[in-house]
Amino acid sequence: MASSQLPNYLRANRKRLALSQKEVAFLLGAESGAKVCRYERFAREPSLRTALAYEVIFQRPARELFGGLHKALEKQVAARARSLGKRVNRESSKARHSRKRESISALAALAGCKPLNQE
Amino acid sequence: MNTTNPKQNRVLAIAPDTRGVGFAVLEGENTLADWGVKTVAGDKNSGSVAKVEQLITDYDPEVLVLQDVESKDSRRSLRIRELSRILTALASSRNLKVARFPWIRVQKTMFAEGWGTKQQIAEIVAKIFPEELGFRLPPKRRLWESQDYRMSMFDAVALALTFRLRGKKAPADPPATV
Repeated sequence: MASSQLPNYLRANRKRLALSQKEVAFLLGAESGAKVCRYERFAREPSLRTALAYEVIFQRPARELFGGLHKALEKQVAARARSLGKRVNRESSKARHSRKRESISALAALAGCKPLNQE
Repeated sequence: MNTTNPKQNRVLAIAPDTRGVGFAVLEGENTLADWGVKTVAGDKNSGSVAKVEQLITDYDPEVLVLQDVESKDSRRSLRIRELSRILTALASSRNLKVARFPWIRVQKTMFAEGWGTKQQIAEIVAKIFPEELGFRLPPKRRLWESQDYRMSMFDAVALALTFRLRGKKAPADPPATV
């Protein structure tokens, strides 16, 4: 069921500025509004250049414009960080690795997961 | 636009009128994710249902909010009543909860004294979402004019807010009557 954020909030931000899809396409340097329509209907993910251009146009951070996508990526990174953390713990317990373990543990805790050392 | 709380659910409010449907997608307490008017040519009801179905697909809401047109005080047309029944059936087929509020309930939510005109409700809604709706507020209707097409969009936002604010105080003081 839908309780998570939408992949992006491009349409709401465009409407907030009273811009048409064609006008946003022009600002993005795209040929027509069709691409903008696909982004707004979550049918296509914009490139990094386009995401940054959106940030400039709407004057909002990309993590806010692409709220759902950001959350999903945060969860994925946290899950990978947890498995990386387990691997690092297995491989070595030397003191010079403590900084690395701290960083990975902080990443693993991003999406609301328990830090590795609390397991 | 305000920050979204991902724990809060998403509601889709629909306000049918003579041209099609006004809609609002409210996420969390105070994030308007989409809003507007879908105009329909030809068969109004089947066209409106198709548009609402597309909105449900796009936004995957948890609740569909409609005006309760079955209450005995309601003066909505037979076509709108029929459309409301079809939309309720559509919501059930898509496993959506349906919340229906009579217009009097919307007025009670918006006004401390429990009464106000549609224009006043639209003004309050525009105050709550100034960036999104402030510039789309229709001018006050004169007696010989028909309702502005944008009004259904404001009605939809008011319905969504009624759902969100049920059991709470009026969101703002009513604007001064001229």
